[in-house]
Amino acid sequence: MSARNIEMTVLRYRPEQDAEPYPQAFTVPFTDDMSVLQGLQYIKDELDASLAFRWSCRMAICGSCGMMIDGVPKLACKTFLRDCSPAGVRVEALAHFPIERDLVIVVDDFLAKLQSITPYIVPREARSPAAGEYLQTPQQAALFEQFSACINCLLCYAACPQYGLNPRFLGPGAIALLHRYNMDTRDAGQDQRMPLIHAEDGVFNCTAVGYCSKVCPKAVDPANAVNLNKMESAKDYFLRLLPGARSRA
Amino acid sequence: MDQYQADVVIVGAGGAGLRAAIAVAERDPLARIALVSKVYPMRSHTVAAEGGAAGVVQAHDSLEHHFHDTVAGGDWLCEQDVVDYFVAHCTEELVQLEHWGCPWSRKADGHVNVRAFGGMKIERTWFAADRSGFHILHTLFQTSLKHPSIRRFDEHFCVELLAAEGSTRGVLTIDVASGEFVLIEAPAVVMATGGAGRVFRENTNGGIVTGDGMALAYRCGVPLRDMEFVQYHPTCMPGTGILFTEACRGEGGLLVNRDGYRYLQDYGLGPPSDAPRNKFMELGPRDRLSQAFWHEQRKGRTFEGEHGSVVHLDLRHLGAARLLERLPQIYELAREFLGIDPALTPIPVRPAVHYTMGGILVDGRCAAPLPGLFAAGECSSVGIHGANRLGSNSLSELCVFGRVAGEQALEHARSRPLLAAHAAGTRRQAQQAMERALLPLARQPGRERLSAIRTDMAVSMERGCGIYRLGSEMQTTCDKLATLVERCDRLGVGQRSRLFNTEWLLALELGHQLDVARAMAHSALERRESRGAHQRLDGFEQRDDINYLKHSLATVGADPAGPPRISYGEVRITHSPPGLRAYGAAGEAAAAAAAPSGAVA
Amino acid sequence: MNGRRPYVRPMAGWWRRNPYFIEYMVHEATALFVGGYALLLVAGLACLAAGEAAWNAWLAWLATPPCLAFSLLSLVALVYHTITWFLIMPRTLPPIQLGGRRLSARAITTTGLAIATASNLLLLLLVGWLSR
Repeated sequence: MSARNIEMTVLRYRPEQDAEPYPQAFTVPFTDDMSVLQGLQYIKDELDASLAFRWSCRMAICGSCGMMIDGVPKLACKTFLRDCSPAGVRVEALAHFPIERDLVIVVDDFLAKLQSITPYIVPREARSPAAGEYLQTPQQAALFEQFSACINCLLCYAACPQYGLNPRFLGPGAIALLHRYNMDTRDAGQDQRMPLIHAEDGVFNCTAVGYCSKVCPKAVDPANAVNLNKMESAKDYFLRLLPGARSRA
Repeated sequence: MDQYQADVVIVGAGGAGLRAAIAVAERDPLARIALVSKVYPMRSHTVAAEGGAAGVVQAHDSLEHHFHDTVAGGDWLCEQDVVDYFVAHCTEELVQLEHWGCPWSRKADGHVNVRAFGGMKIERTWFAADRSGFHILHTLFQTSLKHPSIRRFDEHFCVELLAAEGSTRGVLTIDVASGEFVLIEAPAVVMATGGAGRVFRENTNGGIVTGDGMALAYRCGVPLRDMEFVQYHPTCMPGTGILFTEACRGEGGLLVNRDGYRYLQDYGLGPPSDAPRNKFMELGPRDRLSQAFWHEQRKGRTFEGEHGSVVHLDLRHLGAARLLERLPQIYELAREFLGIDPALTPIPVRPAVHYTMGGILVDGRCAAPLPGLFAAGECSSVGIHGANRLGSNSLSELCVFGRVAGEQALEHARSRPLLAAHAAGTRRQAQQAMERALLPLARQPGRERLSAIRTDMAVSMERGCGIYRLGSEMQTTCDKLATLVERCDRLGVGQRSRLFNTEWLLALELGHQLDVARAMAHSALERRESRGAHQRLDGFEQRDDINYLKHSLATVGADPAGPPRISYGEVRITHSPPGLRAYGAAGEAAAAAAAPSGAVA
Repeated sequence: MNGRRPYVRPMAGWWRRNPYFIEYMVHEATALFVGGYALLLVAGLACLAAGEAAWNAWLAWLATPPCLAFSLLSLVALVYHTITWFLIMPRTLPPIQLGGRRLSARAITTTGLAIATASNLLLLLLVGWLSR
């Protein structure tokens, strides 16, 4: 395997001394199978131990290593240096989030949103493990499975300009998870989640840019979840107007 | 220093930690729970587990079978009464997960499906595609959000387990973002910090799997049990060590050498058949498969790749449709990392360190010898894995013993709460611990690089504590680790600000790793036999039940900077006396010849 | 926050930083042409109601170079609008099962565009026939 060098320009930010972030270039030797994450690890191990970034699994399942790589939200562990321009690659913290240090962002806002959507099964009635599993056919499971694949990597939030412009927007990831629970036949919590859909900062902030679904590394298609819930919101609104109607069984 | 009071503090928010937290919250909604994790919970390494979780469901399966598979798989180093409890509670826990929303893969009739797994006589592995750990973790994390009594301390790095007058007082942590210290006082502490695979060079683990809880308990005088037993998973990506799940083999994947030959039949796992057969060939236990690779490599029958020797995992005969349905993540990994379509090309694989069978000594109630300390999950040695873990037992372990640890911790907290009189002593301890933790920041950075110490440790562990071991090499590793501890104790970090200081935390973490590595290396050196995942080639090639049907115990010595003291503890054997550990045709013959109560695998 | 000082990056110029967003702004801008052409047609309708003289004046105005240019631009814009509209349509629909398999986004877009093209052609033919 040929060894070549690539210039990795990383956006640095040291809260204790910098007024604002600034770019710093590093020359990194790389081989064909090295990821951007491995490039950053080389920098930290050999060139500048203070470089801060989150990572863990290295296999695109923990969701830690989301970053802007040449201006596009990607997972560093599965973006390969061989695919970057030989002229160099630009690495920055995930967009639309405050920078804590270097490539580390503040994710408190997302966690609060995650908590707010009732992200757990609200059963129709109490059921003990002795009663065995709920029956759910593969077809029924397919209704929500795609939306359950979200690894909370936040690339979709970095892709969403509406979230960037209005950080109060519930956002693609949280709405996808909300939809996952609504579509699960074991759940009866749709009513509890509806106010979040209707809300000022709910689904109607979405203007169908669609970039979130394009960058999602797990094909969750959050844009689909958000836009389907616009219809759900409308249905719910009008059905409530009918005398004696309830929004959902 | 910020201070909090809790009834139970849980360190680690992976599967075991989250399950413990939920168990406490459900038992007593008023109990104050502090859930501490150095990463956000969904980043915990449970997320990477792929294959599935074991739980008896089929009519022709039984708890006895699961028990015997587990005990034989562990080469009879298991605590059999604990295994009895374990197998009896797996299914209930997996159903509970299902109620909480876990998307187990289903049969057409809507019931949960099970698949074959290595070393298991009958299919009992529940799976959620090939992302079982991911789904279990997210199910537990999201369910935990139901309970306001669980107060999370996300990205808080635990630096000390506080104990005085013979019982636990809480933990001292660092809020990573601010660098400030946070003291959490509690009468009960549950360690659920995971394994320590990162002390080895090639491993399947995420960067966070560094044995922190093991080290913290060890430093308080709690023994680490059976640390020499480290599992090499046979099918990992060359270079990165990324895991290709055992489920590949459960679905029918084949392992072939450079001659296209299914070599496992030469190592007591044959005869081969076209369809997968439980406990035969590729469905043998992981230690045997990794050992077979080692021998093939010595014989020159492996492929030579850029990252060392490999064999081929052939999934082509499964076809694209089945691969996409049952093994979608494997498909993705092979395509994106290796540029291979597994429906057309075999995947190059080699063994890498995967799991730490040993850990914090606890009894069947997850209680450590230090009153108030409990442990569950990979960081613990509760006694179910023995010398080698069977695949899909550990995800079930998280739930079964996560719950036990939580409930026991709560009971302890209720019966022996902290007294006001304790506070002053605890705070003094915390103050001293804080000063120790700040040492890397106080020292001037020299020419020593943290990454160099870490790499030296990982390379030395790979050499001395590999798939096959020699006394001389293990001794070399023990000596090397001693010098690395000295180098680490002189390390100063360059970044002085405490705000999100990863250098500082990595230095503290390296200290934990070195303690755990020493426990592993010294335990390995002292065990003069071969059993399960600990195999020697220096005159101790056989299993020695007379001298070594015992657990090793690594305890911190009088000098905490020195090597551990190795002693031995009894193994609890109830209804499965040690027998021949055999798979393939030999295993079937032995099982047929055995009495109905089953003395053999 | 004890010393923490998270940095918030400004959003100004956000859409210029990524080709995907530039394209987004362009296809959203085509809506202006939709609106503009609709106003033009409303003006025509009003002129039609106002009598033959007004109607002929409107027709003559349509033939002037600026109007022709606008019409041409609108044609291009509306075609682009249609294509991008059908490209985003799959994102707004629930899963559609056809013969046991889920209809792909590509299939939905292609079908939509095919129907749109066919209806437009039919309309043109109809108008052509009516005005012969």
